[in-house]
Amino acid sequence: MELLCLGLNHRTAPVEVREKFAVVTSHLGTAARELTSLEDITEGVVISTCNRTEFYFVAPNAESAFARLESHLAAKTSMPEGINPHFYRKEKSSVPQHLCRVVSGLDSMMLGETEIFGQVKQAYQAALDAGTTSGMLNRLFQRAFGIGKKVRTETSIQEGATSVGNVAVELAEKIFGHLSDSEVMLIGAGEMSRITAQSLVSRGARSIFVANRSHDRAIELAAEMGGSAVTFDDWQRVLERVDVVISSTGSPHTIVHRADIEKARRARKYRPLFLIDIAVPRDIEPAAGEIEEVYLYDIDTLEQLAEGARTRRQEQIRECERIIDAELAKNRLVGS
Amino acid sequence: MDRWLLIASTLLALIGGVWGMTSVHRNRRSHWTIMWMAMAFALQTGFLTVRGEARAACPLADPGEILAYLAWSLTLFYLLIGPAYRISLLGVFTAPVVVLFQTIALTPGVLDATPLKIPGGNAWHETHTATSVLAYGALALAAVAGVMFLVLDHQLKEHHLKSGLFRNLPPARALLVSLNRLLRLGIILLTLGIIAGFMMPRSPSATGHLVAALIVWAGYALLLWIQSTRGLTGRRISLLAIALFLLSLGVFAFV
Repeated sequence: MELLCLGLNHRTAPVEVREKFAVVTSHLGTAARELTSLEDITEGVVISTCNRTEFYFVAPNAESAFARLESHLAAKTSMPEGINPHFYRKEKSSVPQHLCRVVSGLDSMMLGETEIFGQVKQAYQAALDAGTTSGMLNRLFQRAFGIGKKVRTETSIQEGATSVGNVAVELAEKIFGHLSDSEVMLIGAGEMSRITAQSLVSRGARSIFVANRSHDRAIELAAEMGGSAVTFDDWQRVLERVDVVISSTGSPHTIVHRADIEKARRARKYRPLFLIDIAVPRDIEPAAGEIEEVYLYDIDTLEQLAEGARTRRQEQIRECERIIDAELAKNRLVGS
Repeated sequence: MDRWLLIASTLLALIGGVWGMTSVHRNRRSHWTIMWMAMAFALQTGFLTVRGEARAACPLADPGEILAYLAWSLTLFYLLIGPAYRISLLGVFTAPVVVLFQTIALTPGVLDATPLKIPGGNAWHETHTATSVLAYGALALAAVAGVMFLVLDHQLKEHHLKSGLFRNLPPARALLVSLNRLLRLGIILLTLGIIAGFMMPRSPSATGHLVAALIVWAGYALLLWIQSTRGLTGRRISLLAIALFLLSLGVFAFV
């Protein structure tokens, strides 16, 4: 019996192909049963995320098992060019190595992302519940989870925010702790500020105020995020109560001046204020950052921080792979 | 025997501090600091118990005992309040202060080698000394929280966000909330201590000490009043909490 894996991911297939093979979470168990219903396949687990669909299975003969599964998938999706250009095959020792890379986030689009670990666990649990796993796949997945945890705790592969939105959220949490007590104001309703504000809302920010020159757009965006729209002339009044300001207007001139902040300080009782300026040209006068309780970050600083985290993660790949190899070398898995 | 307890406690606090600093430097979170500090606390308590039995009163009769009691109180508040912070890091900042106080206490001549029994103990006197020194423990920890805030504030302002220290520091708002709570607790205990000071029989030479204590109390009361009415920036309240604590140590010059 051999451990085998057939899969496709963001590197081998474009989204229009990936979506054809995607399996919704609630159907992972059914998909695993379908996999093991194929001739000679004795165990099976199906993993499906937005960036990958992978079939892990056990069969006595690799070549015939791959061929059967490929023709089964080709029949289901009816792709004129066939499925082979998009799928990769893994056999024997490359299967545990690949799975360990997947659960450690080394094979992800965003290197080191943590979500994949839970997604693989969910897929394995669905197969377990469907009764499609036995000795070989159980040992493979348990081992991969153990190694994945080791990689994540012993390296900094998942440390640091790698996008501007996440950097802003991490900084906001460093200043305010839980964001459930924090209020956010958006000045300008651009796409970048919407994404950043959305990140803050997803981490629990209490309320959002949107001020935009086009009030209709402010209403629209506020409704989308469950916040309230304020007229553009009113942002100074709102400044007295909010903790975070995200500014991204298309204005060629400075919108938020140091004097505006100075004016609101007393009413704010000198509480910390986090200013995020993601506009080019900048919306917030740099001198505003000199005020004691103000923490000002512009787009370049945020991007540098994100880039730094991405680089640090890249530097960790070799160490992660060393841990995976060393751990797998300790005990050879049956079928690998 | 009592001296050895204090020496061992100082060494444990030193190990806790170095252990914590090393963990922070390596960007790893360690929960061992609190263990070292808890062991140091047990030995401090042992030291104070032995001295208390020898004195047949609260052991605050010489500068060494006062410093040891202050270190004990600081460690006590750290162990009580620590969980509100990220434990290991507050320990990292607290341990050096404890080591400093206890090292001074252990300097020859600071701690009475043969503590004598205090004749005619008075309940008000004991209450005064115990609550006052406890108050100083809370105020010292407030100063420690102030130092932590200043470090974090500097890193946030200058965009120095890569160090292990930055990642391990608690959020700025949490530090300020804790600092405020410790100041309030400190001033409540200090008020009790001063009231007890007025009630106890005292010699004319104690007037200077009482006046100094009242000035310290007024300083902290003013700081809290301004903070609650007008508001203060985090940097200012931290600097004032540190400055007031350092100034308040002068009260002991009048003991």
